[in-house]
Amino acid sequence: MICCKECLELLHDYIEGELSAEVHASFEDHFEDCPPCIVFLNTYKAAIHMSQTTLKSNDIPDIVKERLKEFIDKNKAE
Amino acid sequence: MGFDPTKDKAIEEQLVKDLQAGKVSSFEQLANLYQKNIYNLSFNLTRNATDSQDVTQEVLLTLFKKGHTFQGKSAFSSWVYRITLNASYMKLRTRKKEPNLSIEDLLPSLNGAGFQQEKLQDWSENTEAAFFDKETRRVIQKAVDLLPDKEKVVFLLRDVEGLSTEKVSEVLEITIPAIKSRLHRARLFLRKKLASYFEDYKARKERK
Repeated sequence: MICCKECLELLHDYIEGELSAEVHASFEDHFEDCPPCIVFLNTYKAAIHMSQTTLKSNDIPDIVKERLKEFIDKNKAE
Repeated sequence: MGFDPTKDKAIEEQLVKDLQAGKVSSFEQLANLYQKNIYNLSFNLTRNATDSQDVTQEVLLTLFKKGHTFQGKSAFSSWVYRITLNASYMKLRTRKKEPNLSIEDLLPSLNGAGFQQEKLQDWSENTEAAFFDKETRRVIQKAVDLLPDKEKVVFLLRDVEGLSTEKVSEVLEITIPAIKSRLHRARLFLRKKLASYFEDYKARKERK
């Protein structure tokens, strides 16, 4: 059986679906039997998801939008 | 997210051709398509609205002035992201640098045979309620701010801006294995920061 350390190093490739069939199978074997690794995987994914959602939503403030528009218009006119 | 360069490839290609030919109308359209991506990436790096506005203007100005010199050796969006990164780093130049991330510090504690020995708490199912919490957002932003630049930029381009691994490799001019290992480190780092936050969060709730 592969150990936790190896599994945790492979998390990226596992999530991206880049493991070979053989490694993927031993990965799944390990997970069947290892609650701490399941927790680690769940929280790894949750951290990605939460950070993504938080950081995607930096809306440009209206005042900045206006300034950018003025800026674009100015350059267009030149 | 504003513009998805993968979906709107044909539109982008035409606009870029027009830009190279010096057509002013294409500048305005490209500026409108890209400004949200430029601002978002820059804000995540500088965490400052004024700096991000400056960066966005600088990038747009570069597109306007140097658009005709774009050679098409890489994708146009890669070029835009590269200019955005450079402009953001110029803003950050005066700020302090952080130490390297060691993978051992980011993994749970392992015994000599490589097996986990501490009991981990699964907070992943309790995140929805906390999600819109201002404090949670602040914790996440702070954690990202603490990432070393090398890992941060990969995380922002890949996980936040949604570029493919290949595209990130093109923008940053580093190898795909290096992208993967930096991304993994960044994600581990964020997981660890969020884990300590949620463990405290749970303890605080239980005390109430």
